[in-house]
Amino acid sequence: MKLVAEVGVGTVAAGVSKARRRGAHLRARRGDRRLAADVAQACRAVPWGSASRRASRPCLLNGLRDRIVVQTDGQLKTGRDVVVAALLGAEEFGFATAPLVVSGCVMMRVCHLDTCPVGVATQNPVLRERFTGKPEFVVTFFEYIAQEVRELLAQLGFRTLEEAIGHVEALDVEAAVHHWKAAGLDLSPILHRPDVEAQFAQQTMFCSSGQDHGLDKAVDNRLIELAEPALERGEPVRIELPVRNVNRTVGTMLGHQLTRRYGGTGLPDGTIDITFTGSAGQSFGAFIPRGMTLRLLGDANDYLGKGLSGGRVVVRPDSRATFDASEQIVAGNVIGYGATSGEIYLRGQVGERFCVRNSGATAVVEGVGDHGCEYMTGGTVAILGPTGRNFAAGMSGGYAFVLDLVEGRVNHELVELGAVTDEHAAELHDLVARHAEATDSPVARGLLADWPAALARFTLVMPTDYRRVVEARAAALADGLTEDQAAARIMEVLHG
Amino acid sequence: MADPRGFLKSGREVAARRPVADRVHDWHEVYPGSAGRALLPIIGTQAGRCMDCGIPFCHQGCPLGNLIPEWNDLVWRDDWDGAIERLHATNNFPEFTGRLCPAPCETACVLGINQDPVTIKNVEVSIIDRAWDSHNVRPQPPEWLSGRTVAVVGSGPAGLAAAQQLTRAGHTVAVYERADKPGGLLRYGIPEFKMEKSHLDRRLDQMRREGTVFRTGVAVGDTLTGDQLRERYDAIVLALGSTVARDLPVPGRELTGIHQAMEFLPQANRVAVGEEVPEQITATGKHVVIIGGGDTGADCLGTALRQEAASVTQLEILPHPPETRPDSQPWPTYPMVFRVSSAHEEGGERVYSVSTQAFLGDDAGGVRALRLVDVALEDGRFVEVAGSQREIPAELVLLAMGFTGPERPGLIEQLGVELDSRGNVARDAAYAASVEGIFVAGDAGRGQSLIVWAIAEGRAAAAAVDRFLTGTSTLPAPIPSTARPLVV
Repeated sequence: MKLVAEVGVGTVAAGVSKARRRGAHLRARRGDRRLAADVAQACRAVPWGSASRRASRPCLLNGLRDRIVVQTDGQLKTGRDVVVAALLGAEEFGFATAPLVVSGCVMMRVCHLDTCPVGVATQNPVLRERFTGKPEFVVTFFEYIAQEVRELLAQLGFRTLEEAIGHVEALDVEAAVHHWKAAGLDLSPILHRPDVEAQFAQQTMFCSSGQDHGLDKAVDNRLIELAEPALERGEPVRIELPVRNVNRTVGTMLGHQLTRRYGGTGLPDGTIDITFTGSAGQSFGAFIPRGMTLRLLGDANDYLGKGLSGGRVVVRPDSRATFDASEQIVAGNVIGYGATSGEIYLRGQVGERFCVRNSGATAVVEGVGDHGCEYMTGGTVAILGPTGRNFAAGMSGGYAFVLDLVEGRVNHELVELGAVTDEHAAELHDLVARHAEATDSPVARGLLADWPAALARFTLVMPTDYRRVVEARAAALADGLTEDQAAARIMEVLHG
Repeated sequence: MADPRGFLKSGREVAARRPVADRVHDWHEVYPGSAGRALLPIIGTQAGRCMDCGIPFCHQGCPLGNLIPEWNDLVWRDDWDGAIERLHATNNFPEFTGRLCPAPCETACVLGINQDPVTIKNVEVSIIDRAWDSHNVRPQPPEWLSGRTVAVVGSGPAGLAAAQQLTRAGHTVAVYERADKPGGLLRYGIPEFKMEKSHLDRRLDQMRREGTVFRTGVAVGDTLTGDQLRERYDAIVLALGSTVARDLPVPGRELTGIHQAMEFLPQANRVAVGEEVPEQITATGKHVVIIGGGDTGADCLGTALRQEAASVTQLEILPHPPETRPDSQPWPTYPMVFRVSSAHEEGGERVYSVSTQAFLGDDAGGVRALRLVDVALEDGRFVEVAGSQREIPAELVLLAMGFTGPERPGLIEQLGVELDSRGNVARDAAYAASVEGIFVAGDAGRGQSLIVWAIAEGRAAAAAVDRFLTGTSTLPAPIPSTARPLVV
């Protein structure tokens, strides 16, 4: 969860705690885009110091502080920065620029050009040769930070960092506020120590209790019981269960158990085959590994197949439904977010950001909203229906087959459009056939009935640079080069 | 930005110098035509190697704050008008620094971390040479005069930079020079083969057209006293240089044939431009020994070779420096490494880790030989190596051992300005000496240094003088007087 606030970051932090997130991450500058599974980021355009303080206070007042970790970052560079942030209420501290410089970064600010002359921000083997950083440098840097923190804590009379957290009274701001640049600055709201009601007086000023996520009520506990023959002995299991939209992340805990036992390779495809009937809650089938197939007769909410890791998710309307599924929405937004492998078959249309950040999964759907395939870096998508606007924005890898594509809806910045060539035609046919088989889709059956005509209606959407890399690699391997040599050849081709 | 991948496509390349066999027989510069013209075919590609760094460390290396990535980019784009405008924005005399500066910008170049740095100095000289060739360097006289007067004492690079800045700001500036022509070390220290004097004369002509007045042959402190100067002018800039040469008081120093480099070089430089010097000190046919392994020594070496010395030996007390940057002097500092100047290419022998014990004379009282001993550096002290004594023939000995500061008798005493602990004229961070209205720029305040520091000081001191005279100034002040080079 990423939340951006300038004013009222404290309210945001309290909300974070109530929403059972583990931490409130306060960023002093505009944040990055990483997926932070259990940390809510409250992004601010103000310094980390005041943010830490303002985030902690409402949490303290409402008895929520000891349930979350308050993390801060943004130009932290010294042990003194850490201690100040701690006294203002933070307990985790993010460093980026300083350790980067320690490892050799010279702040060229060309990270986006792939020309980093010290080999930090580049994949170019010629430039990576020039990287001289060692892990020991960063270790030593943080030892110095820790040493300075320890010295300052000793001066202040604290035995541990935890003891110091939130003790604003230990901050001496006299010199700062008497500086002419600080004239008229009133720091008292930041330095104020709130009066905490008696009922909350026992809470610590740092994370000491954790959140209750209610996992004991999850439907997955039942799934794990029922799938025991598969988990223990790898025997095929068939399960049928109803599902409701209060059941979120269905299948994820089962997938966790499977992965714990069988590792990244999982079980043979379809070993655990579960059919749900009803309306699934958010994140249906999130992160499920190979060996699991979740079938849903009904519809699903957002984040279906999020982080899919080899499993299969199939959605089709209930057999009693009278509507034409290809005209209806069967699942919500952001389906297949960050999926790395696996398959998704959806009989019907879906919402925005379909397959955003997909890096390797295969997905078939009968229509998508705006921003389809955004930031996709790998995998294959077939869309047997309409697309919204801004299709393929920032798409740098993988490819998509789109039926009757409206070119004006494509973001052309990184991709090029073309007819489906022979090398991809068989793959597309296979995808459509599997979709028909899994979902009994009339759309797919219609296309297969006159395949040559259907094939002509498809457009292949492929990132330009991705195509060049794929072609260069194929040519290099055909020439008998090794993978390393092929990588070098790819660099030559891309920068030639 | 210049070509983002230029540094990956092209290596460092410099222009070919004229063959040694040709150039030692004349006094012309070592590049065919001029440095700028010789570089023209390659300089665009070389400028394209600049990476336009987010943090350009060349700015740290150069005290002038030259806008190096900007004009590298402009040269790469073939926009020479834009390039000279950007170059002149921070440097009054790029034709001097482009030839004479040891380029601390290049040792600070980010590309130099793991590759050969950009040829920044060559780009600089290409820009200014081309600007002169295309008549694109014009006088910039002030639009109005302030009515204030400034005397600049000394016409070396610091004095000239201060004078040009102050003249352009509208003040009436007179530059005093005790020699017969202005230029200081630029004219009489720098040999013709490093920078032909026509470059200096061309620049002085521009300054005259802007309104700067030169009073040559006037020894301030002697023919004109400090008091007279203070009476006549609203402000004084002391740019006297560091002219007291370090001596070598060992037995035999009184023998004839032992001279300071700055006795030898000025005479040679006069002869090189066609003047006649009676009783000139020459190296012709002699075994020459130069004591001091620095740039002045190299200047003596190239000059002695052109005078057809029988042999030339350059002595240095420090050990042979490493070929590449040692770990103890990391990027972006200016390292002590083995450098080969154009003169070193031409001949002569360089001997390291030696100390002179005595000069040995002949019957006529002239120097005949030098008694040397090897020295080892132990705990920061030079210790003589037992049994390593030897004699080398020496009919002309040139002392190039550095300079200890400005001449204190005369003007400095008359003005009553305080000296610092090293004997230089003391000044505050804004270049003001202890007496009101007197400012100090260049080696007279800093001690011996590089031309680029002299120009930077001259520019900054001009800003201080302008503020003193008018209460405010828009002249740039690239460095405070307390700034120091990036060395360890």
